[in-house]
Amino acid sequence: MSREQYTPPTLQDRNAGPSSSSQQSQTQQTTSQPYTGGGFNLTAASLDALGDDSRPIHYLCGDCDARVTLKKGDAIRCKECGYRVLYKERTNRMIQFQAR
Amino acid sequence: MTMAQPLDVSRYRSERHIPWAPLSAEEIEARRLVQINAETVTHTAASDFPGHYGPEQDDSWVVERFRQGLKVDFHHNKPHDAAFSLVGIDASIANAFRRILIAEIPTLAIEDVFFLDNTSVIQDEVLAHRLGLIPLTGGREGLDWLHWFHRAPSKDAFTMQTASDGDETTPVSTHNDYNTIVMTLDIECRWATVEKDGWDGKKKAAEGDVAPEEKYIKSNVYASDLVFHPQGKQSEYFSGENAIRPVNPEILIAKLRPGHRIHLRCHCIKGVGSDHAKFSPVATASYRLLPQITITQPILGADAKKFARCFPRGVIGYEPDAATGEQKAVVKNPMKDTVSRECLRHDEFKGKVKLGRVRDHFIFSVESTGQFESDELFLDAVRLLRAKAERFKRHLTELEEGR
Ligand SMILES: [Zn+2]
Repeated sequence: MSREQYTPPTLQDRNAGPSSSSQQSQTQQTTSQPYTGGGFNLTAASLDALGDDSRPIHYLCGDCDARVTLKKGDAIRCKECGYRVLYKERTNRMIQFQAR
Repeated sequence: MTMAQPLDVSRYRSERHIPWAPLSAEEIEARRLVQINAETVTHTAASDFPGHYGPEQDDSWVVERFRQGLKVDFHHNKPHDAAFSLVGIDASIANAFRRILIAEIPTLAIEDVFFLDNTSVIQDEVLAHRLGLIPLTGGREGLDWLHWFHRAPSKDAFTMQTASDGDETTPVSTHNDYNTIVMTLDIECRWATVEKDGWDGKKKAAEGDVAPEEKYIKSNVYASDLVFHPQGKQSEYFSGENAIRPVNPEILIAKLRPGHRIHLRCHCIKGVGSDHAKFSPVATASYRLLPQITITQPILGADAKKFARCFPRGVIGYEPDAATGEQKAVVKNPMKDTVSRECLRHDEFKGKVKLGRVRDHFIFSVESTGQFESDELFLDAVRLLRAKAERFKRHLTELEEGR
């Protein structure tokens, strides 16, 4: 797939996403085949449980390092010290790497 | 070890006009040597094959003769380091064992890393690579039971694509308890506090204590922080002392500061060293040929002392010479020699010493990374070569039968 064709996954896509792998694992479990549940199923549901994906978004104050929670439309301002520079935290979405 | 003076067997025979006759025991010993001269190395190729010395010398390969010539002698045998002599085989076979040890015996290693959080200073890809190189171990039975994980061939790896073209029958695996081990790492660094740790890290920092371990909790991430999560059937094989764990729990993976967090999940699979060095079961597997030092004329007195200094300690010893009563240099332990050829640089030893190596005496050194024991690994290499030979034979038979 080219760069232009790629569309980043949305929250809705991810909830509808775990189609093939999780269904497969369920059928496999019922026929006493290899166990594919738990740790292998890195699906949207299991990832949301692992990494907190809930809104609102957390930021870090550039001055006092306090954790600032902002919702859509909130003033960009630290609630502790009033500093106006906030740093965005690293994404809490899962990123996969090959150990190579 | 007593061995005849190295000689060029074929020239020796033609000079003496010996007709086709079987080689004498002395000549058979002499042809085992690779000759090492001041500037050159000669007689490197083996000549113990049929027809090389004429029709009377029987060099055909006979199982019984091979069995009598073969010798295995262990020098030391520790789980992570074994050294032994393998005598009486051809270099091609010895080299096959070495290459199988390095590249074809499967081990378990971390293959995929799923990062949920990493706010440390070490980048995701670098950390993933580091994790992959950690040697893991666990119950032997379970590791043998573990199946292969066949991954989909990469779109940009040409060799993998061509390899899979001819073999469409190998299905792409899905991760399950038969082929994948799950491990997690979840660690967060924080300041030491009185309530939790009994001392105040921030106070220590203010007092000028700079040791990170005094100020922070979990500032070092070690391999032992990896947590194994048995899946499904795995708990039957990997429980208690058989649990999957790093061989060396004190490998430093990353350093953290307060607020830094690493949270990740690893999938470990079975693989071979030819795919990636992380799967190689040995830190190194190598061999060298046994050095041979032949003193052809007595080296006496001060010369003997100087001669001994040309070699590593323990190679040359002294004995009283019967004729002169002086100390005479004798070869004590050629195994320790490095074949530096230093003795060939001095005029006083000209014509008095011959250096060589025994062509079919392989001193193996196998250093396991810890998943298996070194001597077992060598046996596995022998088993693997045998299986390959049997497969080859089977294919030849099929070819002959026109299948
Ligand atoms: Zn602030």
